[in-house]
Amino acid sequence: MANSKHGVGGLTYDTSKRHWPNEANVFIALIILILIFESLGLLTQGQSFLFDSKDRFDSIFNEQRLKIIILQVSIIGIIAIGVTQVIISGGIDLSSGSIVGATAMIAMSFAQVAEVNGRPNPKAIFLEQGWVDLPIIIPILVGLCCGIVAGGINGLLIAYTRIPPFIATLGMMVSARGIAKWWSKGRPISFPTDDFEMIGNGFGGWMPVVIFISLAILFYLILKYTVYGKHTYAIGSNEDAARMSGIDVRRHKVLVYAIAGMLAALAALVVSSKNLTAQSGMGVMYELDAIAMTVIGGISLAGGRGSIVGTVIGALIFGVIISGFTFLRLDAYYQEMVKGIIIVGAVVLDQWRQRSAATRA
Amino acid sequence: MKNVLTLMKKTSAAFGLVAILATPVSAETVGVSMAAFDDNFLTVLRNGMVKMADSMSGVDMQVEDAQNDVAKQLDQINNFIASGVDAIIVNPVDTSATQAMTNAAKNAGVPLVYVNREPINVNSLPDGQAFVASNEIESGTLEAFEVCKMLRAQGKAGGAKAYIIMGELSNQAAVQRTKDVEDVVGMDMCNFIKIIDKQTSNWSREQAQNLMTNWLSSGESFDAVIANNDESAIGAIQAMKAAGLDMKEIIVGGVDATQDALAAMQAGDLDVTVFQDAAGQGAGALTTALKLAKGEKVDKKVYIPFKLVTPANISEYLKKN
Repeated sequence: MANSKHGVGGLTYDTSKRHWPNEANVFIALIILILIFESLGLLTQGQSFLFDSKDRFDSIFNEQRLKIIILQVSIIGIIAIGVTQVIISGGIDLSSGSIVGATAMIAMSFAQVAEVNGRPNPKAIFLEQGWVDLPIIIPILVGLCCGIVAGGINGLLIAYTRIPPFIATLGMMVSARGIAKWWSKGRPISFPTDDFEMIGNGFGGWMPVVIFISLAILFYLILKYTVYGKHTYAIGSNEDAARMSGIDVRRHKVLVYAIAGMLAALAALVVSSKNLTAQSGMGVMYELDAIAMTVIGGISLAGGRGSIVGTVIGALIFGVIISGFTFLRLDAYYQEMVKGIIIVGAVVLDQWRQRSAATRA
Repeated sequence: MKNVLTLMKKTSAAFGLVAILATPVSAETVGVSMAAFDDNFLTVLRNGMVKMADSMSGVDMQVEDAQNDVAKQLDQINNFIASGVDAIIVNPVDTSATQAMTNAAKNAGVPLVYVNREPINVNSLPDGQAFVASNEIESGTLEAFEVCKMLRAQGKAGGAKAYIIMGELSNQAAVQRTKDVEDVVGMDMCNFIKIIDKQTSNWSREQAQNLMTNWLSSGESFDAVIANNDESAIGAIQAMKAAGLDMKEIIVGGVDATQDALAAMQAGDLDVTVFQDAAGQGAGALTTALKLAKGEKVDKKVYIPFKLVTPANISEYLKKN
């Protein structure tokens, strides 16, 4: 039965019409971007972008730059994993950035040290209550619960009131930011315990990357091989069909959004730990960066299509752009303009590719 | 019919009584519109204002959050005017959009005080309006000049290299501070400093960390980092420490003298910061607004001075901001 043209249920398909996986295109875009920065770097800076041109490292690569490329997108990448499964289910989540802000503030208040340089911690919220120097598990649990509750509310609103995800999560975006500001009346909360610092700085600073990549692998497997994943794709492809095939669409949506909220909360723990501070303005625009990474990674906003691999490559494209701009010493004023063009350009290319694939088939 | 009339008389009398009870004769009401509630510095400023109002009897203050929205801020001012406040304090969202606010307050005859951010029409403010802030040109100059002196003290007067981390590019203070730093570096005494690159961190610690790590990855050696604010300076410090650099060798400067920055200075990481008296600006704005409400004359520009903070005098600032 090798080279059989017979698919499931006796349907035939033509092997010549099969195209590459979506992720391959995104990966090629990543390589092209790197080549552009590499050649512009040699032309304008006389330096290599990714390779060690000053003999500073043991390997042939500029290890420091490789690290920052992935490190600087890991935190938003964690959010993007949650957003990916939301988008695959046919929804959208605008609230993740605000959930980061609110969670960072609340969780950080339970991670404070009692004394800074021999003085009582000036930023401790619960100093009077004596809730300082708490074990690390408390801020982590408090933080994750915040995210699950916020995401769960999103999911309940969408599943049971039938309001569009855009509106439900927009509401959460505004309210959660309000909570972030109200929690300490706008004041930043700094000086966490040494244990808490590890969440963002452990493994010699690689911890955010470790968390991001582990979660990416975990969710790749979940989406591909579990019932949860198959239901997510089914609902995103055709919600009515999914319902009629017996999937509990409502319950599943609550789960999808709660998980997205939890991942945003995890990102909040990492970012506040990495920076040793929580501020009510933290995470502003993170939701849009996360959505942009996802869309660049080939996940269709219409739902039902894409994978975590695409999101990871989308995140790397973001990282390459940020590092590439600084490497080329591009004037700060131009950076945002060019970044916007690249985001839109990536999606336009993807649309063309899809249309040509559709006409071919 | 008669019943209805008496009922109306009774209710209107009741309303009148309520109105009299609600507004004690001597109370001054002040409406405040802040650009944002989630900005650390503006929060200290706002708290300074609120604390002062609370400590005074007969001052009733209402504070609104304009959420960085120019249109919302103008609406808030018009609402204050409509509710008959005695004075308005505005921390402008957009310093180039203040003319409309000035006009609205002037036409209604309500005194108006701008605080912290310099309105574009500062030189043409009508009577009954004033601007309270620190003179922005001082902060970047104080910072850069101190960095320059410290580099000289390290014996680097023969040549030194520095990075500049800028705040949000749309913000007047970021533009001004960057320009001041460049002006200082252009002076004879400090022109041994070469600026390698300047980039924005949008005031954010996280972005400054990433920016610094990106700079470090180019392998270029440098002697100083001059940041537009403390958060960015701290982000840069965290990145440099993660890369194993000796913070004694590198001079790092910031602006704001936040608690976090002072802790970093005590730890020996941050070398220079500039104290902008946020609470003092808030209190100064309220004082000026109350004076205007009473019809007293005030200066059009009231400046609260910046102060340089270094390890030598840090103890004076540990309890402030």
